[in-house]
Parts: sequence; C-alpha cells; structure tokens
Amino acid sequence: MFCYNCGCRLSEHDFCTACGADVSLYKKVMHVSNMYYNEGLEKAEVRDLTGAVISLRQSLKFNKNNVRARNLLGLVYFEMGESVSALQEWVISKNIRPRKNIAGEYIEKVQANAGKLESINQTIRKYNRALTLCQQGSTDLAVIQLKKVLSMNPRFVRAHQLLALLYMDKQDWERAERELHKCREIDRNNLQTLAYLKEVEQMLMPDEGARQQVKRRKEEAVRYQSDNEIIIQPLNVKEPKSGGVSSLLNIVIGLAIGLAAMYFLVVPAAESKIRNEDQQVITRISSESDAKTARIQELESQAAGMNESMTEIQAQLESYVGVDGTLQNTEVLLHAVASYMEAEDKAEGAATAAAELESIAGKVNLEEMTEGFRRLYEAARGMILPEVAANYLEEGNRLFNARNYAEAAVAFEQAFAYDAGNEEALYQMAQSYRISGENEKAIAAYDKVIELFPDSWRAERSQNYRAQLAGG
Amino acid sequence: MINFEEELKKFHPSLEVEDAEDSIYHQDLTDMADMLIKKIVGAGQEIVRETPKE
Repeated sequence: MFCYNCGCRLSEHDFCTACGADVSLYKKVMHVSNMYYNEGLEKAEVRDLTGAVISLRQSLKFNKNNVRARNLLGLVYFEMGESVSALQEWVISKNIRPRKNIAGEYIEKVQANAGKLESINQTIRKYNRALTLCQQGSTDLAVIQLKKVLSMNPRFVRAHQLLALLYMDKQDWERAERELHKCREIDRNNLQTLAYLKEVEQMLMPDEGARQQVKRRKEEAVRYQSDNEIIIQPLNVKEPKSGGVSSLLNIVIGLAIGLAAMYFLVVPAAESKIRNEDQQVITRISSESDAKTARIQELESQAAGMNESMTEIQAQLESYVGVDGTLQNTEVLLHAVASYMEAEDKAEGAATAAAELESIAGKVNLEEMTEGFRRLYEAARGMILPEVAANYLEEGNRLFNARNYAEAAVAFEQAFAYDAGNEEALYQMAQSYRISGENEKAIAAYDKVIELFPDSWRAERSQNYRAQLAGG
Repeated sequence: MINFEEELKKFHPSLEVEDAEDSIYHQDLTDMADMLIKKIVGAGQEIVRETPKE
C-alpha cells in the first residue's frame, strides 16, 4: 500500500513515515476493498456469480485500482456470457497496471481470435435483436434468435433467462425449467433465475401439497419382519368386498374400454399404416411412370430426329439418282461424248453432242457438280462446240454463195452461238441480214463486230455498212 | 405470478463491442478512496495515488 500524499510505501503505522500524512482512514478504505474482493472470490469459487459481481463491484467502489478485483470481475462477466463487460473491465485494469497484469493475457486471447471476437459481437447483436422482438410482441422470432444466441454462446445467462421467460409466457413450463436449470449451472444464486424457477416449479407441480399428503398416508403403515421378509401392512386400507354382480360389471366395463381403445387407438394406427404403405406404393409407381414417360419422350425425339435424317438422305439420294440428278446428268454427258466419238457423220454427231451439252448446261449448276464432271464437260465443250461452229460456218458460206441469205444468216448465227470468238461468222451474219433486207438485225450484228473485234478489217467495213444502213 | 411485461422491462440491450470504447471513456471511476483523499487533502491540491507494483 502506498501513501496517497507522497506515494511512499506505507508501514504498519497510521501515518506515512515519509510525509507524516494521516493514512488511517485511507488504510481502512483499502482494507474494505480487499475484504469485498475476498468475499467476491469466495462467491465465485462456489459459482455464485451474481453475488461475486456485487461484491467485486463494491470492492471497486472502495478502490478502483484494485486490479485483482477488476480482473476477477471481468472473468466472472465472461463466464456469464457478458463478454463486452468483461473486456471493459480488463481494458481498464490493463490501463491501471500496464505490466505484469493477467488482464493483458485475457484481452490478447480474445483479440487473437478474430472469429471469436466477431462471434461475440454477433451474439450480442442477436440478443439485442431478440429483446427488440420481445418488446414488439414477436415472441416466436425472439425464441429463434435466442436459440441461435445460445448455440453460439451457451453461457449467456441473460439469454437463458429471457428464453425461459418467453417459454413461461407460452406456458411451456418444461422448457422454461430446462433453461433455468442451465442458468443455475452457470450462476447458482441469481435471484431472477430463482424467482422464475419457483414460478415454474409451482406450475409444474400444483398439487405438491396433496402429493405430500399421499406420501404421508403411505407412510402410515405397519412394518414388521417375519423371518427374512419385511411385511408392510397399511393401516387405512380396507379390503374390497367381493361381489359377483360388481365383478361381472367390472369385466364388462373393462371389455368395453378395451374394445373402445382398440377402435380408437389400434384401428386408426393400422389404417394410417396401410394408408402410408399405399401412399408409398403410389409414389413409387408414380416415379416409375415419370421415368418411363421421360424415356418414351426421349425415344420419340430420337425417332423424329432419325426421320428427319432419313428425309435428308433421301433428298440427297434423289439429287444423285433422280430425273435431274447427278447420275442422270453424268449419263447424258457421257452419252454426248460417246455419240460424238462414235458417229460416222462427224458433223451430225457433233451437232447432237452439242445439243446434249446445251441441255446439260440448262439443267445443272456446274459449281455444285463434282470436279470430274466439270472437267469432262469443259473438255467436251472445248472439243465439240468449235467443230459444230465450223460446220455451221461452212454451211452458212455455202448458202451465202447460193444467195440464200436468210438461211445463211441463221447458219452464221448458229456458228457464232457455238463459237463466240468466231469473227467471220458474226460478220457474215451481218452481211446476210443486210443483203436480205433485215437492216435492224444487220446493224445489231455490225455493232457487235465493232465492239468485239475493233482492230480488224471487218470492224472497219462494218462501220461503213452500218453508216450506210443508218443513213439510208 | 410473474408478469411477462414487467419482467421484460428488467432486460436491457447488451453493449456491442464497437460501443465498448465509448463506454470505457465515459465510465465514472471515482471511488471511495478518491473522495476520502479529496476530503482530507482539500480541494485544489493534486492527489498522489499510485497503483501498487508487483
């Protein structure tokens, strides 16, 4: 103990040996504080936590610097689930004595585990929320919240008490009693807990007095030992008189009660069991049916997909082997080439083959045909069409010389149609038209000569003839 | 017979961790020893009270 005036250590005297100040009262105050601390410690040791809190607070009222009392108070608070109050006491204690203070260890233990601190905070928030719900009348929600709180902090006495109060309000006396017993395990002499418990026990055993009466009556019996057996003979019990009618009546009533019990208890249970079994069978069949329906739908969708595939394949097959299919066109092409090669009259064979080639050109899109087909088609055209054109040119020249200009013009037109680079055929066609008097066709043909072969002597002549026809 | 409403009034919200600091700062820590020393020494004089060292 130190002097309040100079800070020197005090001796057994009632004055300070250093400064001479009177410390008798000061010493008494310190002793009272210590006495309360000892009392608090004793109460805490027997789990009278509420009593310990009262004593320790008293101790601190006399001496706020009683670090042991403050640390113990924090520990008691912590045990009661009042974690924040505990932390407060430990923080103040640590502040009073920064070194060699167990409060520092307590704080570190709590703060070292961030999850623990968060859990403490969550617990408090939920408890406060539950209290608000109680005040708003939402007791069911409050019960749920408090159960959560107690699952996180099972030592929270106030939460147990509030939950017990809510159960009491709902007249759920067994649960209330259970909660209050938990409170008592933590804090034995909490007055609030004890008051609630008394109320609950009264509600659970309202005929306790009557029971005691019965117990006393039971005790009113004569006991004696005969050899090795203890005989207990009750005093106030009379043997019932036996009567045939009453026995029969009792048997009948018993049978009736038995039958009624059978009807009301056993039969509904059996019916319920049968219903449950039926329900299970229906559920099983329903689930199997659902599975089969799903399987059928899957198979139907597969069948539809396969039908579509089959239709596509048929369309493809048709495009190959149908009337205008690839195979048919290939056959026509091969036939055209064969007829050209086998013909004795080359001119006639070439004309037939050219006609067939033209028919193929009208029916197929060469871009979609196979490469072999395209190559054969192009080769056949390159070989046959110029020859046909040459034949028509020769025929046209013959007709032209025989002064049959109209037919000559048609022959030249054919020659030009089969060979678009045949300048002579085009020019002769224009000449034939001009001589036969078809001036418009002649001008059109001359224009083509001028356009397609502008540097030839025929173009120059075409210019002259065209000018004459246009001028005439 | 316990009255639920009356009993409910005895329950108060707990202090949250965030509010603990303020609560510590605003706590009145004046004790009997402080008042006694103030009485003995007289107002205006500085009080020397040291905590025992272990």
